[in-house]
Amino acid sequence: MEKNKWPPGDLVIWFFILAELLVFGVFFAAYAFTRASNVELFNTYQLTLDRNAALINTVALITSSYFVVRAVAAIRDNNSKRCFHWLLAALFMGVVFLVVKGMEYHHHFSLGINLNTNTFYMFYLSLTFFHFLHVILGMIILLAVALKARSGGYSAAEHTGVETGASYWHMVDLVWMILFPLVYVMR
Amino acid sequence: MEDKKFIRPCSIIFGLLLALTVTTWFIGTMGLSGLQVSLMVLGFALIKGQLIGDYFMGLKQVSGFWRWAVTLWLVLVGSLITYAFNITA
Repeated sequence: MEKNKWPPGDLVIWFFILAELLVFGVFFAAYAFTRASNVELFNTYQLTLDRNAALINTVALITSSYFVVRAVAAIRDNNSKRCFHWLLAALFMGVVFLVVKGMEYHHHFSLGINLNTNTFYMFYLSLTFFHFLHVILGMIILLAVALKARSGGYSAAEHTGVETGASYWHMVDLVWMILFPLVYVMR
Repeated sequence: MEDKKFIRPCSIIFGLLLALTVTTWFIGTMGLSGLQVSLMVLGFALIKGQLIGDYFMGLKQVSGFWRWAVTLWLVLVGSLITYAFNITA
């Protein structure tokens, strides 16, 4: 099969994705190297996190990403209606992520935990909230794409917008694939 | 008819991603720790990232720099985390 010269979607989003990945990469490295000087503290407070909630959220993001893949496949088949429905399903999984993560934050805040509590919580809260904001932005993009798909704004011949939104959403998923084990499991 | 050559591998990858996620969660709930366990979990994460890049983002079908952009990021991040966990072991 002949390969494409450029990735799917608008090339501008890929430069944005690269920039986002670099920022998250620095964040992950900062977490890992700070942990190296505070292993006992990080290992102790990591145990206070809800791994079941993290599992639900990881499954939600992976499923959402898969639904977006199906949406791209649908529009390549010139089926706007199906594309719209897959995007709605993806958005629903995004809502699941936000609700579960919101419940986690509520639990921590109700215990008086905040950015000043200790170094571990400073990283946990800032890293996950930074990602949380990216989920919200990704959902806004997917919603805009879904609405345009519903009004017949995309076709098999022209669906760059769908692929652009999909690429960003997959990046949000990709980052969580590292964040989940690093913050919740590795000790 | 949707492109089965696109959907079928992605459906398999979806299953693989879920399986690796549940394995990671299970290791976490078992309370396993140590350098080897951490690096194994990190390895699962890097594989998941590569699969998302290759199949969901479609980079497997791209040539040149963009084919390897996600891979480079994963190698860089994975190396830094591995190094940081190594110096505490």
